[in-house]
Amino acid sequence: MSVATSRRKRLIGISLTYFGLIMLLVVFIGPLLWVLGLSLKTRAQIFVTPPVLVWAPTFEHYARVLTQADFIASFMNSLTVTSASVALSLVIGVPASYVFARFRFFGSGAMFYTLLLMRMLPPVAILLPIFILFTRLGLANSRIGLIIAYTTFSLPLIVWIMRDFFEGLPNELEEAAYIDGASRMTTFLRIVLPLARPGIVTASILCLLLAWNDFIFAAILTNNATRTLPVLMATYAGAETGTDWGSMTASGVLVVIPVIIFSLMVQRHLVAGLSAGSVK
Amino acid sequence: MDQRVSSYVLDVPERDLRKSTSKRFGSTLSSWVDRHFAVLTVMPTLTVTILVFGLPLVLSLILSFQGWNAQQSLFGGRFVGFANYIDLFSDPQFTQALWLTIAYTVITVFLELAIGLGVALLLNKDVPFVKAFRTALIVPMMITPIVASMCWKLLLDPNYGIVDYFIGSPLLWLGDPTLARISVGFVNVWQNAPYVAILLLAGLRSLPSEPIEAAAIDGATRFQIFRHVTFPLLTPYIVVALLLRTIFEFRTFDNVWVMTGGGPADATKLLSVYTFMTSFFAFDMSLGAAASWIMLLIVFVFCVLFVAASRRKENAL
Repeated sequence: MSVATSRRKRLIGISLTYFGLIMLLVVFIGPLLWVLGLSLKTRAQIFVTPPVLVWAPTFEHYARVLTQADFIASFMNSLTVTSASVALSLVIGVPASYVFARFRFFGSGAMFYTLLLMRMLPPVAILLPIFILFTRLGLANSRIGLIIAYTTFSLPLIVWIMRDFFEGLPNELEEAAYIDGASRMTTFLRIVLPLARPGIVTASILCLLLAWNDFIFAAILTNNATRTLPVLMATYAGAETGTDWGSMTASGVLVVIPVIIFSLMVQRHLVAGLSAGSVK
Repeated sequence: MDQRVSSYVLDVPERDLRKSTSKRFGSTLSSWVDRHFAVLTVMPTLTVTILVFGLPLVLSLILSFQGWNAQQSLFGGRFVGFANYIDLFSDPQFTQALWLTIAYTVITVFLELAIGLGVALLLNKDVPFVKAFRTALIVPMMITPIVASMCWKLLLDPNYGIVDYFIGSPLLWLGDPTLARISVGFVNVWQNAPYVAILLLAGLRSLPSEPIEAAAIDGATRFQIFRHVTFPLLTPYIVVALLLRTIFEFRTFDNVWVMTGGGPADATKLLSVYTFMTSFFAFDMSLGAAASWIMLLIVFVFCVLFVAASRRKENAL
């Protein structure tokens, strides 16, 4: 009897859990699937009430968006700016994180916490002086200016994640390398870096997200020729005449698909990175 | 830990090492690099940060005490003391934006934490396929905020949006001041509650299982276990999530900009939107710089709290 009731209780518990999980999907993924659906409907189907639930998908909006010069140009700008800033910030930031993890020198603690503070700065509060300086230096409206801005914003992120990661690595290997007469640089490049690969993957996704998803810097520091995808998307979304839902949703999907695929591929590292520095 | 690092550095017989490297590579350059390794590797990060963060921050601090416009030379402004700050606090638009931002931050962060905690507890259950649900939950926060806001703008459309279709009446989600505030906040909570959930889930997974098992053996109910064992153990993680989300909600801009542009009738004009419009639409650079610095000072207070909280957690664990 008591076995039966406890089994029934457990069954109810499990069903409730699944009910909750499915509600989660409905709330957090449902809206996205609906938008994905909109992008696969014809213009007439999009505006029908009640909404069409079963239809033969059409790719006409994707075909149109992918032949738009505006979209292709912005896509290439986003790709250039993102890859350049991720590469640059890794090259600059990873060695520094290693030093922050392994060496103590005058001011190293202060420097580390200052970098953390920089990560917290609201972009809008530093945008104006950066705009003024970049305009004077001729860096406004260029991809280079944007790359510099994103690289700088990525550095605190990298140091934050990679310092923790390096601290977690055992240093016996490094010591052995020293004793064998390897220089610090050789030890770092040949021994430490290969071990740090998972951490580097984590750091680079977060930097990639930062650069690919940023709107506010790109909105101010680019013009029509150098604007990135979020800026282009904002003009689509902001236009009062924005009734071309097909193009809007299709281009939105094209903007986020690369990032989502990449994020899911390296999911484990991503979760580690999202909680790094705040949860150990 | 400082101990470990310093002893490690000292343990290496510096002179012998240098001799052996120079023998091996036959170059003084590599031994010079070796001796200055720490400085050389930190230098690029330091330089870039000072040039692209430090210099602009100093510039905007100077500008905020000046009457300056974009036609003048960089340091050609006239010193006006606190006039810009006084102007800001006597501008009802600014004070309204300040209070709105505070209310907005408090409400969205509270909701994110409440929902995030609930979701984390749900995802912590060991049922089949729960990993797939964890994976799915990552998706909303990966989405470009501008694109997410655009999607919600379509979903909330009064004529063809699916939300109003379900409700059955054409609500002007973005046209009514109160509804617009709710909509804008909702999009933020929708995108970031999963992030809080993942932080807290990581926290839950790292909790020791003994106290929970002990409480269960002692006959505590599930709610009692949560209230008196799990929650107190999780508190450090909740504090960190709270401060992180406060700092990031405080800067909210993208979704407001795309969905309402600060309207209707300034109902969603947060501090970030005010600063942005003052700087780049009204082109009042000095006033914009002063508003920027007020934002910076508020965030700075929370950063100090954050560092203190994460250090205390590190020590506690």
